[in-house]
Amino acid sequence: MSTAVEASLARFLDSPGVTGVALVDAVTGLTYGVAGDGAEAGDGQEASDFAALVAERLGRAGAEGELESIVMTSARRHQVLVTVGRPAGDPLLLTAGLDRERANLALAARGLGELADEVLA
Amino acid sequence: MRAPHPRNLPALLVRLHEDEFSGTVRVAGTPGGTLHLRDGLVGAVETPGAPTAASVLLASGRIGDDDWLAACAAQRDEDLLGERLVADGLVGAAELEVVCTAVVFDGAFAMSLGALGNWELSDREPGFVARPGVEPRQLTDETTRRIARLGSLWGPASDLARVRPVPGTGVVEGPLSRRHEDILNQVNGRRTARDIAFALGRGLYAVMLDLIRMRTLGFLRWEVPGALDGRPSTAARVTPGRTTAPGPPPAPSRTEPLPRRVPRGGEKGGK
Repeated sequence: MSTAVEASLARFLDSPGVTGVALVDAVTGLTYGVAGDGAEAGDGQEASDFAALVAERLGRAGAEGELESIVMTSARRHQVLVTVGRPAGDPLLLTAGLDRERANLALAARGLGELADEVLA
Repeated sequence: MRAPHPRNLPALLVRLHEDEFSGTVRVAGTPGGTLHLRDGLVGAVETPGAPTAASVLLASGRIGDDDWLAACAAQRDEDLLGERLVADGLVGAAELEVVCTAVVFDGAFAMSLGALGNWELSDREPGFVARPGVEPRQLTDETTRRIARLGSLWGPASDLARVRPVPGTGVVEGPLSRRHEDILNQVNGRRTARDIAFALGRGLYAVMLDLIRMRTLGFLRWEVPGALDGRPSTAARVTPGRTTAPGPPPAPSRTEPLPRRVPRGGEKGGK
């Protein structure tokens, strides 16, 4: 049975090259929902740890404001983490795996940004 | 072939999942709690050890008191309250799912911090439940992971549940996140992680993780576990729906541990 979160995430699978996407708690690492290949979306705990580390280091380096996104690129894949803002409550992360040969990173990043705005609706 | 009686709560929940049980499991203990199951899935965990979904929505200010009361009046069946909140536009369906799912895991984690006693099954009682709910095995695995993680980051989770942090005295490097500011506004040497979780409408486990991180960064400090006395919390409770006003962290009234009462401590030479 598809949940409200998974139904919301599934829309992003229509984007070219997107292999998996997940909604993760940025503090606890708990994964609330997955669409597509969960392994491609990445482990929730690792994603939240990594995002926290990057945000902390950026803050120490003098960056202002909250972390918005992280893009990691390997020979075959992109891994994208996008912060999901909430009216109240702990922050969430969208984590997505992209096939580098098929995905347009700029389009995917824009699509994930839009998804981040709508995923909790 | 099934064992006639489940040996512990996780085994019971797996059995109830197989049976697609809908009903209530009351678990004695400290803190103990009540689990609401729907078709074998855990839809809600109510325990004094962690905020419920209603506490989270109200204490965080996500839903106002008046809107909440109006929704409760319009939908008397608590099982259907979530759908009412979504229909009224007070919260999105996916966001409500996130909140309700988070508190199920958090409630199970909070219950695991104390000794669990006997359980009792009863018919379905109305509850503010997550849809569709959480599989018991997933709940057990996540609870185990959380305890192991706290153990690797700091130490026994049950000890961490008893610490009462005070603001740190070190130099803070880098900007404070809003989340950490909110915690700093709550710590005063009397409040435990549980008290802070209730006051802020956040999960107990999330608050514990933040406490550990803030201690590492020098924002907080607390006594070592061996010096804990296990007294019950005396911190003031915040009424759901009334968040504390933002402002600078309150200065603790004292930086030393609170005085401990010792039996016959005032008697000299008493037997």
